[in-house]
Amino acid sequence: MSLLTEEIKSFIGMKTEEEVSCEPVEAGAVRRFCQAIMDEHSIYYFHEATEDTRYEGPVAPPLFPAYAFRRPFGTPDPVQERADDPEFDGIVGSTAQGLPPLPLPNLALLNGGSEVEFYRLARHGERIHATHKYHDIYEKEGRNGPMVFVTIQTDYTNDASDLLLRVRKTLIRR
Amino acid sequence: MTATNGSTTPAHALYFEDVKEEQDLNVLMKGPLTTAHLMRWSSAMENWHKIHYDRTFTVEHDKLPDLLINGSLKQQFIVQLLKDWAGPLGWVWKVRYQFRSMNLVGEKLSVWATVKTIRRLEDYGLVDLELGVINNHGKESTPGSATVALPYRDGNPLPYPFIPPAGAD
Repeated sequence: MSLLTEEIKSFIGMKTEEEVSCEPVEAGAVRRFCQAIMDEHSIYYFHEATEDTRYEGPVAPPLFPAYAFRRPFGTPDPVQERADDPEFDGIVGSTAQGLPPLPLPNLALLNGGSEVEFYRLARHGERIHATHKYHDIYEKEGRNGPMVFVTIQTDYTNDASDLLLRVRKTLIRR
Repeated sequence: MTATNGSTTPAHALYFEDVKEEQDLNVLMKGPLTTAHLMRWSSAMENWHKIHYDRTFTVEHDKLPDLLINGSLKQQFIVQLLKDWAGPLGWVWKVRYQFRSMNLVGEKLSVWATVKTIRRLEDYGLVDLELGVINNHGKESTPGSATVALPYRDGNPLPYPFIPPAGAD
């Protein structure tokens, strides 16, 4: 029996309002990020010209914008709110990245991988903007029955609306 | 195939003419990745998924064999390998990867890539690569591919911000 109904197909193309990072790209966050990924390339901290002259100032690692969306001051704290819940796995936020959830209850969710296109690196001081949309939803027959593949496309831009990177993440529901 | 730990600043300039099909990139070694590495990454990106730092929850609640190395960390390593290889004149245009199997805390990861095809376009060249992440037991977890743009030795610099070639995948 197919899982892919006309109702689910109608979600293709649906997009979120633009989301804006609560803080601009700042040197401390970039330093912690770079040290955590163990990539202390000089383009991430040198204000003087480095061997790579394209950036005209320090930039963030290529995938940094995808992690720039943090909980702003004054918003509910899910870690504390669920501190007494033994089932809380620590995941906060929506796996659908703010998109309305698909009506596929009780189906497991797997991360099927990503495709990323890079256009520009974010400079220190820029805010990151993101828009998410259901890029594609299709079905394939697996060994244990039908599986729905959901591709969510996120465009990350800077304050000037320059495209920084485009991520297409595939989620598998089965 | 030689290996580096990739923690220093690359300084080489790479041109399209320097690249040959079936050429292996120097492997980027990471690890062994300890609980401190995983906690540092979770904290840097403010992601509190317990399977990366709470061993009791991971084993007893989620029935996993041990703490997992974040897929989000592995993808950083892949991009680092490509970025450092492309150097100050090249540009990593596309990267694709799948998370096929788990990597557990304590593993040492080798990030590899091999040039599969080279494409000479009018303004610059494109290099298509296969890539992956192999652990210290020889198991591949993150197969993928990438496309890197490189300038010609006697050509113009790549456009920045990057402008993909019309009609090319």
